Amino acid sequence: MLSDVTIRYGRLTAVRNVSLSLAEGEILFVTGPNGAGKSSLLRAIAGVTPPAGGRVDFADHDVTGRAPEDIARLGLSMVPEGREVFGSLTTEENLLVGTGMHAKERNWRARVASALEEVYETFPVLKERRHGQAGLLSGGQQQMLVIGRALMTNPRLVAIDEPSLGLAPNVIDLVYERLIALRAQRALTLLIVEQSSTRAMMAGGRMILMRGGEVLLDGDARAMGQSEAMQAAYFGYGEQA
Amino acid sequence: MSNRPSIARRTLATPLILSLLLIAFALVAVAAGSKPFNQTMIDIFLRVTLVVGLYVFVGNSGVISFGHIGFTCLGAYAAAWLTMPPMMKQTLLPGLPEWLIAVQLPYWAAAVLAALWAALWAAVFGKILMRLSGIAASIATFAMLAMINTVYSNWENVTGATSSVVGIPIVRTIWPYLIVAIVAVFIAWGHAISRAGLKLRAARDEPTAASASGIDLPRERLIAFVVSGGVMGLGGALFSHSIGVVTPDTFYLGLTFTTLSMLVVGGMGSLSGAVIGVLVLSTLIQVLRWLEAGVSIGTSTLALPNGVQEIALGIVMIVILAFRPSGLMGNTELNWRRAKTADPGASGQPE
Amino acid sequence: MTAILQTVFDALSLGSLYALGALGIALIFGVMRLVNFAHGDVIAFSIFALLWPSTDVVAAVVAGNLPWFLLIPFVLAMGAGLSVLAEIVVFRRFRNASPATMMIASFALGFVIRYFLLMLFSSRPKSISLLPALSQPVEVLGARIPLLQLITILTTIAILFGLTAFLKRSRFGLEMRAAAENFTMARVLGVRANRVIMGAFALSGALAAAIALILGSQTGTADIQMGTNVMLMAFIATVIGGLGSLPGAVIAGFLLGAASVAMQVSLSIDARPFRDAFVYGAVILVLIFRPQGLLAGRGTKERV
Repeated sequence: MLSDVTIRYGRLTAVRNVSLSLAEGEILFVTGPNGAGKSSLLRAIAGVTPPAGGRVDFADHDVTGRAPEDIARLGLSMVPEGREVFGSLTTEENLLVGTGMHAKERNWRARVASALEEVYETFPVLKERRHGQAGLLSGGQQQMLVIGRALMTNPRLVAIDEPSLGLAPNVIDLVYERLIALRAQRALTLLIVEQSSTRAMMAGGRMILMRGGEVLLDGDARAMGQSEAMQAAYFGYGEQA
Repeated sequence: MSNRPSIARRTLATPLILSLLLIAFALVAVAAGSKPFNQTMIDIFLRVTLVVGLYVFVGNSGVISFGHIGFTCLGAYAAAWLTMPPMMKQTLLPGLPEWLIAVQLPYWAAAVLAALWAALWAAVFGKILMRLSGIAASIATFAMLAMINTVYSNWENVTGATSSVVGIPIVRTIWPYLIVAIVAVFIAWGHAISRAGLKLRAARDEPTAASASGIDLPRERLIAFVVSGGVMGLGGALFSHSIGVVTPDTFYLGLTFTTLSMLVVGGMGSLSGAVIGVLVLSTLIQVLRWLEAGVSIGTSTLALPNGVQEIALGIVMIVILAFRPSGLMGNTELNWRRAKTADPGASGQPE
Repeated sequence: MTAILQTVFDALSLGSLYALGALGIALIFGVMRLVNFAHGDVIAFSIFALLWPSTDVVAAVVAGNLPWFLLIPFVLAMGAGLSVLAEIVVFRRFRNASPATMMIASFALGFVIRYFLLMLFSSRPKSISLLPALSQPVEVLGARIPLLQLITILTTIAILFGLTAFLKRSRFGLEMRAAAENFTMARVLGVRANRVIMGAFALSGALAAAIALILGSQTGTADIQMGTNVMLMAFIATVIGGLGSLPGAVIAGFLLGAASVAMQVSLSIDARPFRDAFVYGAVILVLIFRPQGLLAGRGTKERV
């Protein structure tokens, strides 16, 4: 999916020659310490920050340098870090923002309505607050909202940056349970960025570990958890600090 | 920051090169020797003064100001008050205080006072405005300009309202204008390498880091505002001597946008950009004026219709900005060696 | 009593103009952080589109003889068309530029439009008779006010309600509001950036044309400078209203109109010429105490 991707901000190189591919229906955790380039990777895939070098393919298309809205229309849903809800819109309007992309398809209205119901079923609190301003939701509720919003358009790949950031543990469990159930239901591919690898190890699946803009490890999440290399990557001992 | 002399030595090339450039322009004017061309040169040097004055605040702080031509207006009228023959003031501007009516200074002394007068008002306005930032600050400076214009357009017996104030001694040689332009360049350079200037640019490039390291942004901005207000006032004084007539509308939106455009086209973040912007756009304006007046090609005369000059100027500006959004010079300054980046890290930040 | 009523109507109709102007500027600012200095020239252009190029004082009206139900859409389409053209030809190239660069580019564009009109029509104002039926006075609660003033106010209110409904109810409106708040996120969700921006420009241009119609009928002249003053006040209204906030822009526009008329009435004769200086002074004060604008909402704060 990614080949030889490099991302730069001015003179700062955030991601260096990373290659990565994802199979359909796979779940991939991207972990690593702060500044490892995890979020930059996500932004490159979604077309928010076009890579300085390399190539991004998605759904059999070369999407390098394509506009984010085009990539979204190919079936990518990205949830960026920092809960980007539209604060002045209502909860329900937030959920509906992206649904226009399929407006020309048959049964569009019915499908939007059922997608909405599904999200409300998963996160009942959103239904309670459906006509309230999204900016007034609590942090956890906003996190549910952005995840729900990403699921509204029946995407092929959902890429989420730090879904557990700022959520209560029981809500995190709920979010993960739901994501994993969805993945099974719809053959959804998941790409999840988490700073901590604990969650990845619990959920299972594939995991890559990034540091300093490069991929250090790639393998099964549970197996990786036991390895020494993992610890070293986080805390930097044994290498130059 | 402790070794200022070395900063001065390292960057001194920039004002020197710019001064030589201006002197070269002046020598061309003398060699050409025609009267209209002389006036063109005077206009260019005036614009250099104004745009450099604007740069001192806009370039270093990154805040777009629409209000600086207000200080030019203050300077121009102050120069008029100080240099007109007392008889004319008595009839034209009877509202002036007695002592001001009686006084008549040589133009250079009046120019210095006019600059101080403008700087004083910059301090007063700046004290209030510098607490704002971003677009709110820009719009507030706009309001300041409109305020100054409204006052000067209506205060009949002090400013002559919208009618022209005539009788200001006209200075026709280009040298005083050249000197003032060079002085402006050196003032801008001196401010840029001063503690206040360095801090201000640091805050422009890294606002978060700067506020974390305790830079008092309103204070540094105020210093730049006052210095640049003074330079604008100086330019205004000379402006009034270049044409001998002032009206409030000479110093309003038209001049504001001419100067701002030159600064942005040249490159807002660099002193060289300010000067280069004036020289490039002024040259362009001049060429278009000639074309409008008509050029003889063989036996036929080719003349562009009126208005083409401005239209072409606007289009050229858009094209330059589209291809070089940070202006012709970007953030670089002219130096003896090849152009080198004046402040690393100023370009290409994320977001 | 009738004097007060008269003043209220004056304030409302002046405020209407400022509100429509502020809305046109806020719409574009919202979706692309562009402070559009060409707006005033779009206003002028919309009215000159009715005239046949000439430098005479009395304009040779071409399209102005249309019946009103064709004339109004024609002028609105002119404004919207020019505005969309500006976006396609100019502003599209500035998507990633800094706000300062965009602002200067928009000024340069306004300059081009203004001198284009000047070349065709000369700088002298032209007398036109636009919708002459509207200048008769009508009596409202004992006060005699020009019919046009009443229509201006009512039209503005209708436009505001229509626009609100459009933004609240339609899909396009939803996408536009989302894009105005967080452009990148809206795109990540699949909202088509170009379509939204073009829509904003079209709406903004049509609003400019509406101002042109009102001003043209009020003054009976077409003047190249006619948009400038409204545009300046509209900028100020946009900032006071909280940048990018549409309701804020409208309310601030009406406030500015009210403040101007109130000062006109209350200032002494000597101070009256300085009315605008007081209004601008008040604006600076407002900005000092509420730099985010009087009515800035949670969602409209400037991002750091």
